[in-house]
Amino acid sequence: MLPLPTFSVLSPRAVSDAAQMLTDHPQARLIAGGTDLLPSMKYGLFTPPTLIRLGGVSALQEISVTEAGGLRIGAGVTLRAVGRDVRVLSLYPALAAATRTIATSTIQAMGTLGGNLMLDTRCAWYNQSTFWRGALGGCLKCHSAPEGAICHVAPKGKGCYAAHSADTAPGLLLYDAEVELVSTRGARRVAVAALYGDDGRDWIRRAPDELLTAVILPPPPAGRVVHRKLRARGSIDYPLLLTAAAFDPDRGPRVVVSSVGPRPVELGGVAEAWEAGGVEAVAEAAYKQVSPLSTHVWPAPWRKKMVRVEVRRALEAAISGV
Amino acid sequence: MSEPDSPVGRRGGKIDGLPKITGAARFTDDLTLPGMLHGAFNRSPHAHARILSIDVSAALALPGVYAVLTGADLPTPYGVIPVAQDEHALAVGKVLFIGDEVAAVAAVDQETARRAAALIRVEYEPLEGVFTIEDALNPDKPLLHDERRRKGDTNVLRRVFQKYGDPAAGFAEADVIIESNYDYPGSTHVPLETQVALAQPHPDGKLTLWSSTQIPHYLHRIVSKVLGMREQDVRVIKPDVGAGYGGKSDPFANELCAAALARKTGRPVKFILDREEVFYAHRGRHPTRMTLKMGVTNDGRITAADFKAWAAGGAYASYGVVTAYYFGVFLPLPYKLDHWQFESHRCYTNHPPCGPKRGHGAIQPRFALELHLDKLANAIGMSPDALRLKNCVEPDTETSNGLRITSVALKECVDKVLAASGYLEKRGKLGPNRGIGLATSAYMCGALHPIVQSEMPQSAVQICADRSGRVSILSGTADIGQGSNHMLAAIVAGRLGIPETDCVVLEADTGLTPVDLGSYSSRVTFFAGNAAKMAADQLYAVMRAAAAEKLGGEDVVMLGGKVFRESAPEKALDFAEAVQLAEERHGTLGFVGHYKPPKIGNRFRRQSVGPSPAYSFTAQVAEVVVDPETGFVTVERIWAAHDCGKALNPTIVEGQIEGCVYMGVGEALAEEQSYTKHGLHRAPSILEYKIPTVFETPEIITIIVESNDKEGPFGAKEAGEGPQLSTVPAIANAIFDACGVWMNEAPFTPDRVLKAIERRDREARRASFDGA
Repeated sequence: MLPLPTFSVLSPRAVSDAAQMLTDHPQARLIAGGTDLLPSMKYGLFTPPTLIRLGGVSALQEISVTEAGGLRIGAGVTLRAVGRDVRVLSLYPALAAATRTIATSTIQAMGTLGGNLMLDTRCAWYNQSTFWRGALGGCLKCHSAPEGAICHVAPKGKGCYAAHSADTAPGLLLYDAEVELVSTRGARRVAVAALYGDDGRDWIRRAPDELLTAVILPPPPAGRVVHRKLRARGSIDYPLLLTAAAFDPDRGPRVVVSSVGPRPVELGGVAEAWEAGGVEAVAEAAYKQVSPLSTHVWPAPWRKKMVRVEVRRALEAAISGV
Repeated sequence: MSEPDSPVGRRGGKIDGLPKITGAARFTDDLTLPGMLHGAFNRSPHAHARILSIDVSAALALPGVYAVLTGADLPTPYGVIPVAQDEHALAVGKVLFIGDEVAAVAAVDQETARRAAALIRVEYEPLEGVFTIEDALNPDKPLLHDERRRKGDTNVLRRVFQKYGDPAAGFAEADVIIESNYDYPGSTHVPLETQVALAQPHPDGKLTLWSSTQIPHYLHRIVSKVLGMREQDVRVIKPDVGAGYGGKSDPFANELCAAALARKTGRPVKFILDREEVFYAHRGRHPTRMTLKMGVTNDGRITAADFKAWAAGGAYASYGVVTAYYFGVFLPLPYKLDHWQFESHRCYTNHPPCGPKRGHGAIQPRFALELHLDKLANAIGMSPDALRLKNCVEPDTETSNGLRITSVALKECVDKVLAASGYLEKRGKLGPNRGIGLATSAYMCGALHPIVQSEMPQSAVQICADRSGRVSILSGTADIGQGSNHMLAAIVAGRLGIPETDCVVLEADTGLTPVDLGSYSSRVTFFAGNAAKMAADQLYAVMRAAAAEKLGGEDVVMLGGKVFRESAPEKALDFAEAVQLAEERHGTLGFVGHYKPPKIGNRFRRQSVGPSPAYSFTAQVAEVVVDPETGFVTVERIWAAHDCGKALNPTIVEGQIEGCVYMGVGEALAEEQSYTKHGLHRAPSILEYKIPTVFETPEIITIIVESNDKEGPFGAKEAGEGPQLSTVPAIANAIFDACGVWMNEAPFTPDRVLKAIERRDREARRASFDGA
């Protein structure tokens, strides 16, 4: 087993305490389930001196019905609890389905919804041990990389293309969900669609002193949302491609594709394609728009072909569910 | 031979199974000694480089660090095969792959040791790397092992060429000849337990080494050699081991450095590899490029074969010389083939070293040949099972390359697997994208010749009957989870008519147990089993004689823990009473048995690799579903019939067959040692190296077939490796049945399968265009 680096732990009981600690300890990282954070720390991807443990903040563990008739899910609710909640199952089945595809059932019991949304972007050239990254010469996302390190996905590029891998994000985006971010300066809401940025190093639009406290879902849309995860095996694996499709008989389809770059992307031109040629045309439009890169061990050209297949299958399922 | 209540042939758990499932078993990492230090390596970040200087001062200055070793401290080369002594515990002069060990640290804890290892400054002069077979065959490329330098030298460790009969004449007889290229990937073992060693120095200068090894005997020899110690001063103990699959059949740097650091510091040193380091220690399947040309007559007689193989073997030889022979010598088995030849090349490349993995050297040619047979069957319009049965090797014959064949129940295996799977009814009729495939295979039951040539026994067992009725069994065998401890107990208990749980097995301690060469080449049941039987036979004879005298008649049997006359079973002695009687007459009841394989005359003197006292046989059928849009292959079911001679414990045999199938499914679907163009392993973790999860594991239907080998202990042969040989080609043949594509390249990842399907469709379109 790889040893963890040394760190200290702070255990707030209230959201306000946690926010204060985050302000007081700018180098600290938040830890909820820790199922991705701790392996990353063992790999030396980052070595925070302090972890702020959110497990003791009971306010983050609740699911409640909002006045608007949607749901507010605390960031600290475990993926297992989200996936088994009858309200989530009946109103937001694509979210429940997404939680059940994450890693393994034991990790779902530890990992949280907030943790999943805050999951670091991933890359085959980055999520490796200190020794491995040293032998590679580092990359743009590596904080400890030597001068002259390049991106191994796009060697001439200046950006980082590490792949957004949060399984719950595409579905939440189609449910028009928002997240609540809290700091000592106050609370604000950001749409999931606007939460993520275009560079794998700086993939989340969150101020360093903010913590994600809840996911707020508006009342569910008229049609059905479907979540699909392409992965190498039936368990444990991170996504090779995430697809979410929604179909509202009045408004037509919407499609989100993820794990192909630093953020989930809602495809453009879907309505036009739908009008012109139905499901096949939407799948073709997706294929043309989305170009996976070599951020995964499995080959990018095959993943590109899968965009067409997965979008078609997701959309067909969304339509047949109407 | 197997009585109803004898442990021989009885189902059930292993005698040492409970401690493993309750957590009571002690693996090497469970051992802790007072004052124990921990080791860590500094490893090469270069695939090929000359070491200009090593500065260990910062590491030594770190508080908690006790010692640092570099290659200069352990200059003696070694290698498990005597003709290929090309390794050093730590790099000397050059590093040969990314992950090669350069320096070793002993410190007060693992974190300190790792931190110190990272502080070692090594100056390198990078050299051009050798990463492909083309590179390895090119005399203009640098040599990995400079000492091999002669004019025109390449990085080929061993080239083997053998020819039998008259291949040209054989091809002339053929009605159909097909030639294809095949590629089989490198893969690694992924035992649950990583390599762990613990060395303890003694005040008298002696040394004890506990290690997770499959080869305590060879490790004993090599540790003594590299440390410059007398062999009688080194004691190697193998505690419980969490599997090996061939991956612990070499001496490893962590074992040698634990020993050397313990000697240097005067303290016990534990040296554990993390999972990533196991991918660098490797010794797994050779990635192999092959061409196979075979001819058949229209009535299905195989007339000739010509096989070539090139393997990119990584930085060191390991067992590679032997691999080069295995590629060819098992090619025809289980078929009769008179006219054939093979040429194989085992190359060095700047990658982690390959070595033996379950089905060593036979998996790759079997994949090629079993696909090829289906292609030939297709071409002559014969059913694949009929083609196989027509050419099947017969019992008590000799192959064209001089292998002595004794018991064979392959036809029965094929019949049973066809019947159970419904192959004949299903083939070609399962509808689009669902298919069924057959493959057969054979494997050795122990290499006839030892790694280090000698006329001494290759396995020995010592037994001692206690007055309590308990029988102790001492053997140098290495149980790595496969069940060899249970096998020894079942054989001894079976002979003496007592429960196997009344036996105590002490194994794999070179300070106490008589020698056994180790757990490789599927040798342990046949070799150590016969040694145990020989020891038990002697105890049986002495006890029987004493009981006959007491009971007044010669018709004595030992059964169910009792000793009695068959004609008067009501007057029975307890086994313990019989032991006491025998001890009174004979003295202390200790006996040794050993096994030396028979001297099997071989017409071909050069053939030292391949001969075995017996061969196991397997037939498998796989049923698969292919997703034609994604290329994903789902293996739904595998039926596996295996001729293991005699199942000493059917539960354990079934477990071995299932394990083989599981491993074969992994190699078929996704497992691959994949490297960047600079030689960096792309996925040295069990997250990204895709072994099957329970979702990819098919339903496995095992069928045990018993041929009762005349020379095997109670008729037993092997079951731990042979069953894997059929799995990958059965899946490939099923994919062809499902969607009409030949997967000549493994693993059958969605990417490769989809490309093959797209090629099929393009060709079909072109054909219909041409036809129109």
